[in-house]
Amino acid sequence: MKILRVNMSEDTPMVKVEEIGSYEGLGGRGLTSAIVSKEVDPLCHPLSADNKLVIAPGLLGGTAAAMSGRLSVGCKSPLTGTIKEANAGGQAGQVMARLGYAAIVLEGKPKGDDIYKICINKDGVKVIKDNSLKMLPNYELVERMKGEFGEKIACISIGPAGEMKLAGASVAVTDMELRPTRHAGRGGVGAVMGSKGIKVIVLDDTGTTPRQPKDPEAFKEANKKFVMGLQKHPVTGQGLPAYGTNVLTNIINEVGAYPTYNFKEGRFAGARKISGEVQAELEKQRGGNPTHGCHRGCVIRCSGIYHDKDGHYLTKQPEYETVWALGGNCGIDDIDKIAYMDFLCDNFGVDTIEMGVTIGVAMEAGLIKWGDADGAIELLNEIGKGSYLGRIIGNGAAYTGRAFGVDRVPVVKGQALPAYDPRAVQGIGVTYATSTMGADHTAGYSIALNVLKTGGFVDPLKPEGQVDLSRNLQIATAFIDSTGMCIFIAFALLDQPETNSALVEMLNSFYGWNMTDKDVVEYGKKVLKFERDFNLKAGFTKEHDRLPKFFYREPIPPHNTVFMVKDEELDQLFNW
Amino acid sequence: MRVIVKLFGGLNSGKDFKRTEEGDIIFESVESYSVGQLIDALSLNKKPFIVIHNGIILTHLDIKLKDGDEISLFPPIAGG
Repeated sequence: MKILRVNMSEDTPMVKVEEIGSYEGLGGRGLTSAIVSKEVDPLCHPLSADNKLVIAPGLLGGTAAAMSGRLSVGCKSPLTGTIKEANAGGQAGQVMARLGYAAIVLEGKPKGDDIYKICINKDGVKVIKDNSLKMLPNYELVERMKGEFGEKIACISIGPAGEMKLAGASVAVTDMELRPTRHAGRGGVGAVMGSKGIKVIVLDDTGTTPRQPKDPEAFKEANKKFVMGLQKHPVTGQGLPAYGTNVLTNIINEVGAYPTYNFKEGRFAGARKISGEVQAELEKQRGGNPTHGCHRGCVIRCSGIYHDKDGHYLTKQPEYETVWALGGNCGIDDIDKIAYMDFLCDNFGVDTIEMGVTIGVAMEAGLIKWGDADGAIELLNEIGKGSYLGRIIGNGAAYTGRAFGVDRVPVVKGQALPAYDPRAVQGIGVTYATSTMGADHTAGYSIALNVLKTGGFVDPLKPEGQVDLSRNLQIATAFIDSTGMCIFIAFALLDQPETNSALVEMLNSFYGWNMTDKDVVEYGKKVLKFERDFNLKAGFTKEHDRLPKFFYREPIPPHNTVFMVKDEELDQLFNW
Repeated sequence: MRVIVKLFGGLNSGKDFKRTEEGDIIFESVESYSVGQLIDALSLNKKPFIVIHNGIILTHLDIKLKDGDEISLFPPIAGG
């Protein structure tokens, strides 16, 4: 596997292809975090020439391994100032790996305001200036690329938000229908791509074949066991395919952990109207699809296709986090309007979690009223227009809170909290506080054990055991994110040791390794160490590993609890 | 004793119960029921995996129900 470097500082962008070298054995998040940690000045401005945007498929990307299509995007984050890895599904991870690239590294910064497309196929790499693409939203951009390069491509792109270098900007990845619906959403990675002057990377793997394992028979057998394990597990085999991630709305609401009205209450009266059950039924009735894979080789198929009332495509099935952020968090219970906002976010290229929490902060400021779906849509449209207000909103919750004088701003290290209140689920609060990425539920998804009873049960309302839980999950996640596997495999891995072994065996048979479970843990720790070291050099201390004060002071109904994990316990998270 | 039972994630009861406006089951009985006994009495199409009693996730089903309680039942589900 090679590393493709594109330096945008020269008058003509410079393309260099090199061996993976000292980064051998790393993939996905492990590779993005290693490159950023080693090559980026932690004190640099995230939008400067000194930052790098690293795009990497996982260790098993481009192979026949099921579920291996995640694509990691890493850099120093303009939202948090920390290291960042955001990953997305879609087709590009598999295509990029089949083309032989372990990473694309975008470096430097163009002198002017020209924008470029990078075209990669089996014959090589071209960087082409194309100012006709300026400020195109993602859907129109992808249509243009289809017209130019055909249907057998995958695109990695930014919308207007990325071009404006807004801190909430995402990097879009096309799905199996060649729509820009899968996003590396968090941390403003799209702004860094925009700062490099790159609008779109077009990948075409025509004429390539899947990457071949060192031991094909053992690999095939391990993959078979892995798939059987996923299909056997009730969550990955039944629950997720039937309703998608939004099936969480009702359960998180029922346990009183559904942040409502900018984290003021733990239950939302309109939750059922925007639940996964309702959403899946609408998708069936309107000719959409509630059970759909976001990339080749996905066997869980938790994504879907959402049609409007007239039966026309509106957006992909909005995820739980999106429906919560743009819905319950803002007091909005209209699923069609939430789905439209999901489309707007994808089209302009902004993170749905960050935008939903930002709109909640704007509502807190009195800019629009709670529950005002049309007002929320207008705020998102301001981003597309590039107005001053749109640029404030597009820079995220912390920025908007400062602009409008709001003190209740639910962010950690500048990044908006996701869809689980840390006062009602203490374990996720530990992850939000200590994650190397700012508030990020995926970094250590304690909900699995705190609520969903997958892999065991840890009482969500008590502080005991939450640091150990979050630590173990953060280590495991850092490893899974490096393999290119979708994090949802973890539900089966937590409950079924044989499925976990099958994953390790896939890696061993592919690479000729002798990795053990202990090595898996060490791998995860190594990735976290890259990230933690970068953050320490960037000026982050243990004082930054805290939730906003109101989570310690304001009890949340219905349980009337506050966040109770002590600071000195949080400080032990990285002591292993 | 009157208990509200909420079924989610494709769970259905094979029995004909009175329902609230939202479609939740109104379970009424003069006899004492534990959570486990209530679940048995519902004749569900699938066994519930997550049981929530007045907002608290249960690890045991032998808790005695009282008037006004709410029970929410889910099959194995996840997301994120």
